[in-house]
Amino acid sequence: MRVSVFFNQLMIIIGGFERRGSLSPLSHVKMMSYTSPHSQYSQKHKILVKTRLLSLLASFVLAPLLSAQEFPFNEAKSPATKDDLLSIQKALMESSEHARKATVSIAIGEGFGSGVIVSSEGLILTAAHVTAGVEKELTVIMNDGTRLKAVSMGLISNTDAAMMRITEEGEYPYVEMNKENDYKLGHWVFALGHSGGFDKSRGPVLRLGRIVKDSETTVHTDCKVIGGDSGGPLFDMKGRLIAIHSRVSRTMEENMHVPMREYVRHWESMKTNEFVGDGPFAQRPVKGTGFIGIGTKDSEDGLLVEKTGKDSPAQKAGIEEGDILLSINNKEITGKEGFKSMLKEMSEGDKVELKILRKGEEKTVKLTLAAR
Amino acid sequence: MTKVHHYQSILAAAALSLMAGTACAQNVLPANLRINGKSVWEAFEPQRQVLQKSSAVIYIDGRSRLMKIYGTVVSEDGYVLTKASEIEGASELTMRIDGDLYTEVKVIGTDARWDVTMLKVEPEQPLVPVVFDESDEVKQGSWVISNGSTTRSSRRVKVGILSANTREITPPSGGVMLGVILAEEEEKGLQIKEITPKSGAEKSGLKKDDIIQSISGKEITDREDLLKVLKDKEAGEKIAVEILRDGKKKKLSVELTARPKGPERMSRNDQMSGGALSLSKRRNDFPRVLHHDTPLIKDRVGGPLLNLDGVCIGMNIARASRVATFAIPASDLVEIMAEMKE
Repeated sequence: MRVSVFFNQLMIIIGGFERRGSLSPLSHVKMMSYTSPHSQYSQKHKILVKTRLLSLLASFVLAPLLSAQEFPFNEAKSPATKDDLLSIQKALMESSEHARKATVSIAIGEGFGSGVIVSSEGLILTAAHVTAGVEKELTVIMNDGTRLKAVSMGLISNTDAAMMRITEEGEYPYVEMNKENDYKLGHWVFALGHSGGFDKSRGPVLRLGRIVKDSETTVHTDCKVIGGDSGGPLFDMKGRLIAIHSRVSRTMEENMHVPMREYVRHWESMKTNEFVGDGPFAQRPVKGTGFIGIGTKDSEDGLLVEKTGKDSPAQKAGIEEGDILLSINNKEITGKEGFKSMLKEMSEGDKVELKILRKGEEKTVKLTLAAR
Repeated sequence: MTKVHHYQSILAAAALSLMAGTACAQNVLPANLRINGKSVWEAFEPQRQVLQKSSAVIYIDGRSRLMKIYGTVVSEDGYVLTKASEIEGASELTMRIDGDLYTEVKVIGTDARWDVTMLKVEPEQPLVPVVFDESDEVKQGSWVISNGSTTRSSRRVKVGILSANTREITPPSGGVMLGVILAEEEEKGLQIKEITPKSGAEKSGLKKDDIIQSISGKEITDREDLLKVLKDKEAGEKIAVEILRDGKKKKLSVELTARPKGPERMSRNDQMSGGALSLSKRRNDFPRVLHHDTPLIKDRVGGPLLNLDGVCIGMNIARASRVATFAIPASDLVEIMAEMKE
């Protein structure tokens, strides 16, 4: 395969940006030049679609042999009549109605993205650059405006896949995943997502397109996506989830999504909150960036809290002057130096459980480390 | 490998990257088969024929060479609707409908609220106006057909689907304001230096030298407190402002007004959409629009939006972003027309 030397701008599609970084061009050469067997237009396919009549005939004849999801319009090279267009429209209307209900907006800090619910308990698939880390608190916004608490789970930082879950109990509308990856180049697909952020009066935005290109970890379509759509779902015409929106280039034709096989491959890692890979879509937390806000002194009783910083995580969690620090995340604190080196191993956003002794009584305090 | 820069707010980080593309023909869907590829357009020939007869190509260059915008033919006797802000101030309007060029184009009127101008030509033969579907029953997922590019003799299509709820598009807000200018010094508290004329502050009776104590029951000690309180409020909302005047506390009810918005800044999403070259200058502040995903550019709006039956369900009025084009619904268009013809 020849690598042509044109450069293009590629952007991660999440709303609410303030800062920019640059991704390595090399990672994309690798990504873009990978070819999978899914992307080949098969010889059999070509013969079938020589004429529309023949293709229609063939699909009728072959119908029982093909898998149940085959649509005649997916077997044809392009629609030719109003009836062809109507059958695409019918499938789109039928399948998008339910898919829309499971499409959610995700708010985290000042940013926003999209996601899709894949289990009735509220498991959500999204993009790694949306959650941007594991075990982070996020807010899920349903189409009616209901806001639900959620937490990020594992992510694959080099391909942009991530999982999260709603932490509030409930039964949520969810979609089925197409785990067979049985789509082909040219198949019709539709995208949903909260383009530009949540807008109740507008609702999630629907777009129609075709599979334009496919590689192991990226599927391209001409469904146009934009900031805020990141993490949103791409469906086949049966309404089964086939990929998650990730990024775009400047041309309208290059809209990139992470296929389900990448999620299936890393399912267990994501379920167990693992941070996989070294970017570029999410960065591992840097050690030593966590801030707790306690001034301590070694004493006869143990490590004594001398003061807490104003509005620091420690003060907000209710740690007081005179408390004795016993353990951090169940690791015994032996003294000031030991405590310091334990904190050095932690980073911003880490959850901390502190056991303290106050007036002879043992207490447990939970807090999240702030940025140093 | 260049290092990936890391910023404190990872989520807010937008990654721009240079990508070396590869083009390997057999692994890529040929351009003609894409949703707006030539082969797909062929299926829309019946709708194209409607656009051929019932859309107008409008020029402002005086030579009828460079098209500026499309128009929608709405009557046999020569009335045409188009997007007002795109032809504003044009002195040499000409127009082509089907193959016929009209060099005398009259401006009948403009509806600023909808950004629609009505034009009139004098055809020798009756024109073929669009047929409106005023039922307002267009479902999401419906195919919609618009004017794409054009040659002198023939119009082309661009296609998409109805994407989202039909709704009002409000103007971007610059936030709300109390209508006061505060003194630089904050020693005595937040003291008013000046009252903005015609603001809510003036109407409520706030005066120069008043010192703001609290708003909606929340103590206000500095500018930051004030901004925080106003952040989530909307124009028209009334808030209780407690002040200190001549040593005495006083409570006033102040109506908040909208802060005038400065020149619109292109956001990152706007850049992703091709920026000012692709987006309509006026792309918000419409009472009601249909929202579809057809990738038009700003000078391809103004023409009819058709359904698969070739019936006009609206008129394209703005390219709003990479993923959205807006159209005025047919039922509203009929009302706008009736008002302008009067």
